[in-house]
Amino acid sequence: MAESVVRRGKAGLLRVGRRRGEQRFALALMTPALLVTLLVTLVPLLYALYLSFHKAEIVVVGGRGGLLTEFAGLKNYLYFLRDSRFWYSVRLTSYFTITSLLIEMVAGIGMALVLNEEFFGRGIVRALFILPWAVPTVVNARMWGLIFEPHAYGALNGLLQTLHILGPTETLNFLAPIPIFQNVPLLGEITSWLGATQGINWLIIGDTWKVLPVVALLTLAGLQTIPRELYEAAEVDGANAWQRFWLITLLRLRPVLVVILVYRTMELFRVFDIIYILMAYTIPVLAIETFRQAFVFGLFGKGSAIAFLIGLLILLVAFIYIRLIYVEE
Amino acid sequence: MTSNIRRRKSTRKILSRAILYVLVVLIMVWTLAPFTWLFITSISTQVKLNRIPIQWLPDPPTFEHYAAMFDPASPTGALFLAALRNSLVIAGTTTILCLIFGVLAAYALARFVFPAKNVLIMGMLATRLLPTIALVIPFYVIIVSYVDPIIPMFDTRHNLVILYMSFIIGLVVWIMRGYFATIPEELEDAAMVDGCTRLQALTHVILPLSVPGLVTTGLLAFLLAWDEFLLALIFSRTPNAYTLPYFVFIVGSSQYYQSPAAVAAGGFLAALPPVLLALIFQRRLVSGLTAGAVKG
Repeated sequence: MAESVVRRGKAGLLRVGRRRGEQRFALALMTPALLVTLLVTLVPLLYALYLSFHKAEIVVVGGRGGLLTEFAGLKNYLYFLRDSRFWYSVRLTSYFTITSLLIEMVAGIGMALVLNEEFFGRGIVRALFILPWAVPTVVNARMWGLIFEPHAYGALNGLLQTLHILGPTETLNFLAPIPIFQNVPLLGEITSWLGATQGINWLIIGDTWKVLPVVALLTLAGLQTIPRELYEAAEVDGANAWQRFWLITLLRLRPVLVVILVYRTMELFRVFDIIYILMAYTIPVLAIETFRQAFVFGLFGKGSAIAFLIGLLILLVAFIYIRLIYVEE
Repeated sequence: MTSNIRRRKSTRKILSRAILYVLVVLIMVWTLAPFTWLFITSISTQVKLNRIPIQWLPDPPTFEHYAAMFDPASPTGALFLAALRNSLVIAGTTTILCLIFGVLAAYALARFVFPAKNVLIMGMLATRLLPTIALVIPFYVIIVSYVDPIIPMFDTRHNLVILYMSFIIGLVVWIMRGYFATIPEELEDAAMVDGCTRLQALTHVILPLSVPGLVTTGLLAFLLAWDEFLLALIFSRTPNAYTLPYFVFIVGSSQYYQSPAAVAAGGFLAALPPVLLALIFQRRLVSGLTAGAVKG
């Protein structure tokens, strides 16, 4: 600190003299944002914590809502931890998250590598590439609903018929809850334990379409920071393309990939829109279950408890990722 | 011998170029085909949609569903126009408020040293990590049982604006703090030596220099607010407050349901503003997203 004051000379000395007034000024600048955050984040969060320890129901009397609360201690939390449906939701959400992440990372890195090459029309391709990301989630859900239409006039059924993969009168019901890998001995058991179905897999495709641009463009930004000389040097040293990819590209991309992984895991773990719109309550991932407890059953204490459990799970995952990356470095 | 090797090398090069172009075409088909199908459905007649085997292009195309959306006399039109107006007002107001409040806070966090600064930065970032579903329940209980009897909040636009700030203001602070850090502090020092106050230095020197950052951040905030569904689902009931995502939801699943083409037309119109903004400001958005993620 002192060193920088000396180095900056007169302006720096001015700054030290101003310190006290500056703190007050800084606080004044912070106040609106702090008030908003307090009002719409901190207070509601603490209130949700309070609710999660209570049996809370809204009773409407004469058109006015009144809240009935009754202290319940840890009952709401214990209810879910003992409930097999809750653990089914956890497994289902984990399956959705991990499968999506795998597809997103592999396809995203692949697309970034392609877009990083030089080819004719690269500017236009990169510009159009962002389109899916801008499509609102609700529109995305409706759009994939049209594509997965179980009749012959659904786009995917039509495409499969045109390509003669399906017969002219055959159609598939893509979003049906059909278990997968049932004829593979161990894998079939694991996937049915997880609650994985063909329907979820197709939903994952639809959800992935919207977010792939972000994953790929962030990866691309990371790729562009890798100096070309590294590859040239490795080539001189006799490294083949595969080794160059693992030892230079992936290693250098690691910080970017961790950020993407943390960000995507959090988003995927709270997936709601596409599942609620296309499947209502038939695929009870954690956010759907929370919504149902609170807004269908009117159990706000239980709903808050499950929401906090989701938050804890997300924190845990984020912590593991960050540990994995920064401990090694 | 050497010419043979050279020839083999050039065949390999041609082959790898060919593979590259095939991959580029595949990426473009994957990116554009679903959205194109949404548009094709929206300009199709019911007869065309029911035809088996599938008919890929509408013949003749019809724009009746778009006309219905903008006709206040038609039932869907009245719903759509109200939703469009609400979405514009809500997303616009949220963006402006978040930019004003967020920029002031970001400037303080970028330039001054004060107690608990790191806690505040981390706290602002943490608001981005909260699942909306965790906030919806306390919002609902607080509003229905405490706030609504005093100030009407349920099914109003100002309610959604306030709630939307919960997940947008943190993003604005985070990105703008990074942006201000790239502007040399000497500029304000010089302005203040010339007689500006600190606030004037911010409004007259730093903010004009930050316009690109403000545009990017504002766009991201607007797109986030435009996209929001869960809060709109819980807190709106009538044309007073419901937004376009809510409209696209109900028009496809309830008593309002008419035809896939009408749903597609509504969806396409709801997607059009963000899609156009993203295509126009593509470079800025990507750099904003990168700043928000990579540098974090």
